[in-house]
Amino acid sequence: MNVITDHLAEFGDGLLLTVGLTLLSLAGALAAGVVVAALRVSPVRVLRAAGMAYVEVLQNVPLLVWLVLAVFGLPEVGVIAGLFTTAVVVIALYQGAYAAEAIRSGINAVPAGQGEAARALGLTFTQSLRLVILPQALRTVIQPLGNIAIMTLMNTALAAAVGVVELTAAANRVNLAEAQPIWIFVTAGLAYMALSAVFGLVTGTLERRLAILR
Amino acid sequence: MIMTLVPTGVRRAAVAAVAALALTGLAACSSDDADPAVPGAGGTAPADDLVAAAPVAASLIPGSTMEKIKQRGQLIVGGSLDAPLLSQQNPATKKVEGLDADFGRLLAKYIIGKPNVKIVNSASETREALLANGTVDVVFQTYSITPERAKQVAFAGPYYSSGLVIATKKDETGIKAPADLKGKTVIAGANTPAIPAIKQAAPDAKIVTFGTDPECVQALKQGRGQAYVQDEALLLATAKQDPTVQIQGKPFTSDPYGIGLKHGDAQMKAFVNDWLKQIQASGLWAKVWKNSIGTVVQGEAPQPPAIGSAPGSE
Repeated sequence: MNVITDHLAEFGDGLLLTVGLTLLSLAGALAAGVVVAALRVSPVRVLRAAGMAYVEVLQNVPLLVWLVLAVFGLPEVGVIAGLFTTAVVVIALYQGAYAAEAIRSGINAVPAGQGEAARALGLTFTQSLRLVILPQALRTVIQPLGNIAIMTLMNTALAAAVGVVELTAAANRVNLAEAQPIWIFVTAGLAYMALSAVFGLVTGTLERRLAILR
Repeated sequence: MIMTLVPTGVRRAAVAAVAALALTGLAACSSDDADPAVPGAGGTAPADDLVAAAPVAASLIPGSTMEKIKQRGQLIVGGSLDAPLLSQQNPATKKVEGLDADFGRLLAKYIIGKPNVKIVNSASETREALLANGTVDVVFQTYSITPERAKQVAFAGPYYSSGLVIATKKDETGIKAPADLKGKTVIAGANTPAIPAIKQAAPDAKIVTFGTDPECVQALKQGRGQAYVQDEALLLATAKQDPTVQIQGKPFTSDPYGIGLKHGDAQMKAFVNDWLKQIQASGLWAKVWKNSIGTVVQGEAPQPPAIGSAPGSE
C-alpha cells in the first residue's frame, strides 16, 4: 500500500483535474444539449437540419479522434489553446450531442396539448419552449442526464492521451516509477467509482424532488 | 497517428489479427520471419543475414523454460509495434524491424533453432503482469532496468544502454543543457523514463506528455512546449528527417535496457545472459546495432554494456 500513500499528492492533483474537467465539460454539454435539442424541434427546417447534423457528426466520430484532431489539427490552421481548455471544449461539445438527444426525448414526452395550450395563449416558440416545454422535459430526463454525467466523467480519461494529467495519466506516471500496476490502477478505479457514485446519488435525489409522475 | 492511439482493447484485437496473419504465414511457410532457409523473392534483407549468422544453443536444461519454448516452437515476446528503430512494424511487409525486434529473433533462433517470434503488444502498465502470468516468455521493449521493477521481474542484460537528449525547435537558443529546462514546459512521451529524468534535472519544469513519438514532435513544432526530451536514437532519426527540429547537446542520462523475464527464473536468466555474452563476443551484437540504431547514429557501434552492471540486473 506504500505505493499509494507515497504518491497521494499525485493522485490528489489528478483527481482534482478530473473533477474540474468533468464539471466544466458537463456544464458545457448541458448548455449545448439544450440549444441543439431546441434546434431539433424548431419549426424552421434549416435549424432542424443543423441540429440533426450536429448530433450525427459529433456522435459518429469517436471522442478520442475529436481530441486528437483538436489538439494537433487546429494549431495547423492557427487556432491554439491550452490542453485543458481544448479538452473541456471538445468533451463538452461531444457530450452535448448525447445530452441533446436525451433532452429531445424529454421534449417528445411532454403531451402535445401543453404546446398547443401555450400557442393558444399567444406565446412565441421560444417562450413556449422556455416557459412550458423545457421545464417539464428536463424533469423527465433526469436519469438519462445522470447517465450522461457519468459517461462524461469516464470520458475525461481520454484527455490523458492528449497530455492532460488527470487521474488516469497521474496513475500512469506513478506506475512508471513504482511498477505496481494492480494497486495503482485499482486505486484510480476506486476513485472513479466513488465519483460516479456521487453523480448517482445526486441524480437520485434530484429525481425524487423534481420528477413528474405521469 | 490516430491508429497508435486506439484504446488497448482495440489495439489488442489488431495485434491478435496481426498474430493470426503471422501464423498463416508460418503455415504457408512463406513468411520471411518464419524460415530463413526458404529463398526470399527479392534477395535477403540485412536482418535475415543477422539471423543466418546467429548461434543456436548446444543444449537446453531438461524441464527448463527454454525447453518448453522449444517444444512450443515459438518465442512469445512482449514488445511494441510502433517504436521506430527499436520495434516497429513495417506496414508494407508486416515484418517488425528494429533493435529489439532483431534481438528477439536472434534469441528465438538460439533457443528453437529458427527465428520464430510472436510479438504480443505489451505496454508499460502490463509488462510485469504479462511476464508473471506467463502470457509472454520475454519482454524486449526498451525495458529500463530499475530496482523497483526487479522486485517483480528478472532482468537479463542490460543488452543496450541508451540516453536521453533534449530537442528543441531550430530557432531556440536558451536551452543547451538539462539545467536550462528550469521553469520551461517540456514535452515527453507518456510512460517513458524521460518523465523522472526531467523531474530530477529541473524539478520545477512543467511536463506535458503525449502517447506517441510523432505526437510529441508535432506538439514541439506547434509550440506546446519549448523542449522535447526523448531517447537519443529516436530523436536522431527525427532530427534527420525534419530540419526544423534540433538536438541540443549530448545524452544526459544512462538508461540500461534489460530483457524482462519471469521473476525468479534463474535458469532462464543465466541462459539469456550467456547468449548475450556470446553475441557480444562474436560481433553479432554490433551488427544488430548497425542494422537499426546505426542507420541514424554516425560511427562504429558503441561498447555493449557489461552484463549485470545495472542495479536490478545482478
